[in-house]
Amino acid sequence: MPKIIAYTMAAAILIFSALPVNAAVEIGKPAPEIEAVDTNGNPFKLSDHKGKIVVLEWTNHQCPFVVKHYGSGNMQAVQKTARDQDAEWISIVSSAPERQGHVSAEEANAITADNGAKITAKILDENGEIGKRYNAMTTPHMFVIDAEGNVAYAGAIDSNSSPNPKTIEGATNYVLAAIESLNNGTPVEISQTRPYGCAVKY
Amino acid sequence: MRILFLILSLFLTLSLPSNAIAQDPLVKIRILPEKGKIAPDENIWIAIEQSITPHWHTYWKNPGDSGTTPSITWTLPEGFEISEIHWPAPHKLPYGPLLNYGYEDKAILLQKLTAPETLPDGPLELTAEIELLVCKEECIPEYGSHPLTLNGPNAAIEDNSPYIQAARQDLPEKTNWPVYHSENNGDFVLNITAPTDILSQINLASMAFFPEEWGLLSNTAPVQALIQDNTLILKQTRGERAINSVKEFTGILSFQTMDGEKQNYEITTKYKAAQAPQTANAAAPAENSRIAQALLFALLGGLILNLMPCVFPVLSIKALSLVKIAEKHPEIARRHGLSYTAGVISSFLLIAGTLIALQTGGTEIGWGFQLQNPWIVGALSYLLFVIGLNLIGFFELANPFANLGGRLAQNEGLPGSFFTGILATLVATPCTAPFMAGAIGFAFTQPPPVSLTIFAALGLGLALPYLTLSFVPSLQKALPKPGPWMDIFKQTLAFPMFMAALWLLWVLAQQTDTMGITTALFGAILLTFSIWMFKHIPEKPLTHNITRAIAVLSVIAAFVLLPTKTNAPQNNPAIEATYSFGQPFSQIRLEQELNGDTPVFTEMTAAWCITCKVNHKIAINTAATKTLFAKHNVQYLIGDWTNEDPEITKYLQKHGRNGVPLYVYYGPRDPVTKQRPQPKLLPQVLTPDTIKNYIEGD
Repeated sequence: MPKIIAYTMAAAILIFSALPVNAAVEIGKPAPEIEAVDTNGNPFKLSDHKGKIVVLEWTNHQCPFVVKHYGSGNMQAVQKTARDQDAEWISIVSSAPERQGHVSAEEANAITADNGAKITAKILDENGEIGKRYNAMTTPHMFVIDAEGNVAYAGAIDSNSSPNPKTIEGATNYVLAAIESLNNGTPVEISQTRPYGCAVKY
Repeated sequence: MRILFLILSLFLTLSLPSNAIAQDPLVKIRILPEKGKIAPDENIWIAIEQSITPHWHTYWKNPGDSGTTPSITWTLPEGFEISEIHWPAPHKLPYGPLLNYGYEDKAILLQKLTAPETLPDGPLELTAEIELLVCKEECIPEYGSHPLTLNGPNAAIEDNSPYIQAARQDLPEKTNWPVYHSENNGDFVLNITAPTDILSQINLASMAFFPEEWGLLSNTAPVQALIQDNTLILKQTRGERAINSVKEFTGILSFQTMDGEKQNYEITTKYKAAQAPQTANAAAPAENSRIAQALLFALLGGLILNLMPCVFPVLSIKALSLVKIAEKHPEIARRHGLSYTAGVISSFLLIAGTLIALQTGGTEIGWGFQLQNPWIVGALSYLLFVIGLNLIGFFELANPFANLGGRLAQNEGLPGSFFTGILATLVATPCTAPFMAGAIGFAFTQPPPVSLTIFAALGLGLALPYLTLSFVPSLQKALPKPGPWMDIFKQTLAFPMFMAALWLLWVLAQQTDTMGITTALFGAILLTFSIWMFKHIPEKPLTHNITRAIAVLSVIAAFVLLPTKTNAPQNNPAIEATYSFGQPFSQIRLEQELNGDTPVFTEMTAAWCITCKVNHKIAINTAATKTLFAKHNVQYLIGDWTNEDPEITKYLQKHGRNGVPLYVYYGPRDPVTKQRPQPKLLPQVLTPDTIKNYIEGD
């Protein structure tokens, strides 16, 4: 009988030590790992992309704030500028099944194509695991990861939190600013802002 | 083709709500001036009223985890000025793992309009361009242009001042209270020095803090509020933004009074580094000596555990059997000593590791948590009962595990010694003996390697007497010579075991109900039945197997039947009956008492803690103490930790403890300075005079 209790305790320890530890995103600290299969069926592992700047973009094609940036062509323009500067761009959809913005891989690819989005890959995260690891709160919520794999920027895409597309002009784009600083070897001046947008539909 | 389809569907999703806006917006806006007429140099309030469709919400100045703040852009006649928006206090709007700050149903924002020195004749046309986001499951932006005419034809009769007056009542009251924010152990901490008449009426459980700045606190985390020395202290898990990056900001303190009235105060807080820690070099040796002290206390505490009523029989039997073999095989005796020590230490590490893992996972539990689960309590009482049956000679074990008596001379007995170590730990852990409380409390404030070392020291202390005995032959000689008397002695020791089993059943009775205790007793009968079956297994293969199966099933049934959930303690008359006098403890209750002037005495106890029960019996539940409490008007609060209770766990941790008993005395408020002295912790072993000395002073 003591044996049974000892085994039970040992089992309990194993279970509890397997519990995930809350890994928060911290500026200047290593970005949490992402291991997934993208919408084209290719494996994606964030740590394989060290040596390049990686932009993460949380998206939900039905959110008015996402529409603000895609409908106006702003997001595509930012993506092009970023890609031209040799950065990778990963779009992530964390909408849970049957919630707003949830899409199949085919639908996701169609949206990418129709928007003319200039992205490296799109990842569906319908159980919200990646989103929660990054504490992604809104669509869009942007992260810029430097070539060493550390988080260089987290927050809003730009400085105007209005859903009105008219406000894009004149707003400061924080993502492009961060990429530019990283490429120039200067410190990222604004490394953290309040993300604005619709809540991620976990 | 596909592009067309998508654009069309995108257009549809977008256009549906925007069509709806044209006819029936989700948020209806009204712009109401305080009055229709404005004079030169005058200022009047303008209300922007949002009537929000049920179940939808709009956002506050800081929208929280998502969403966005409404924007109001005025087009004003020349020379006019309009103030910033004055916001009413928002509500917390949880959404999955996120939380927003905003409004439901109705929200009235206020702005102050100031006219220039000279005014043109005739009506004044003003326009508010309002852009707001309204969300439920999905979010919809609504845009609108809202005209307002002042000094128009009906200006003289338009008077909304009662409406404005009411809206202003809802704004948070501005204060200039000294407030500062800091960071402590991953928490955002706010220290608010507020007038005592306000502090005294706060219902702390209703407290909420709404920061105008984003990202400083984890919006979904609960807020802990307490009042200490006329200071309201709020603690909430910090957010992703560095706390020292915001040197000053404004926020709203929102709470209910004891009468249930809602109150909101606007505060401005300045950053202050947490209590400056001593320089690293100076602090390190002090910390090291504290660790050394904790290790020493843990060792001593472990030694004392040997005298616990249920540990003692297990060990004395073990010790005597050791002597039997030590004469012929001193080498094997030493191995048994080491094996037993390994058993004790590894089981201490297992329990401590589980506890640390659970606490890291955010569960509010403390030392002794093993006994907060009635199933474990029941299983332990079975264990003690079966050991008792074994001691009294009802059965002998052929199995080398759990063998308490003979067969030690064989090497197979080594696992037996190991498990005796586990057994000793299991029966010894519930009560933090006097020397252990400090060490355990300290252990849990340390990083896991240090705290595990402290637990290992505790285990070493428990194992030390037997270990010493197995290594020092002269000590073995001091023990009585083995002989036939040992059988009698062994049988005698069965009774403390039965008593210990009974004690655990009593604990179980307090955790559950009559049905719980009945099933446990039934289980004990099943176990006895099963052992009896095993003793008389027939030779015939068929009946042999059937008998075995029945016996095994009985054992399983005994464990499966045990209750796994506790009953709500407040509905348990057995627990109430154990308290002779005193009031049930809660953090709110304590704050209330502390807001008064009279002394307060708190007792944290648990049914499974013998030290607690003894203290209560001899030092608290006595005529002398009752008279003493009455004489000094001491408010006496009892917290029962028999079952898991996060509130009590937090209270214990606040006082550097991780288990019961805990006794705290809060002296009366000084009539002159209006301050209470620092609360005093009483020792863990009380004598009738201890409490008197603390209350009547030095």
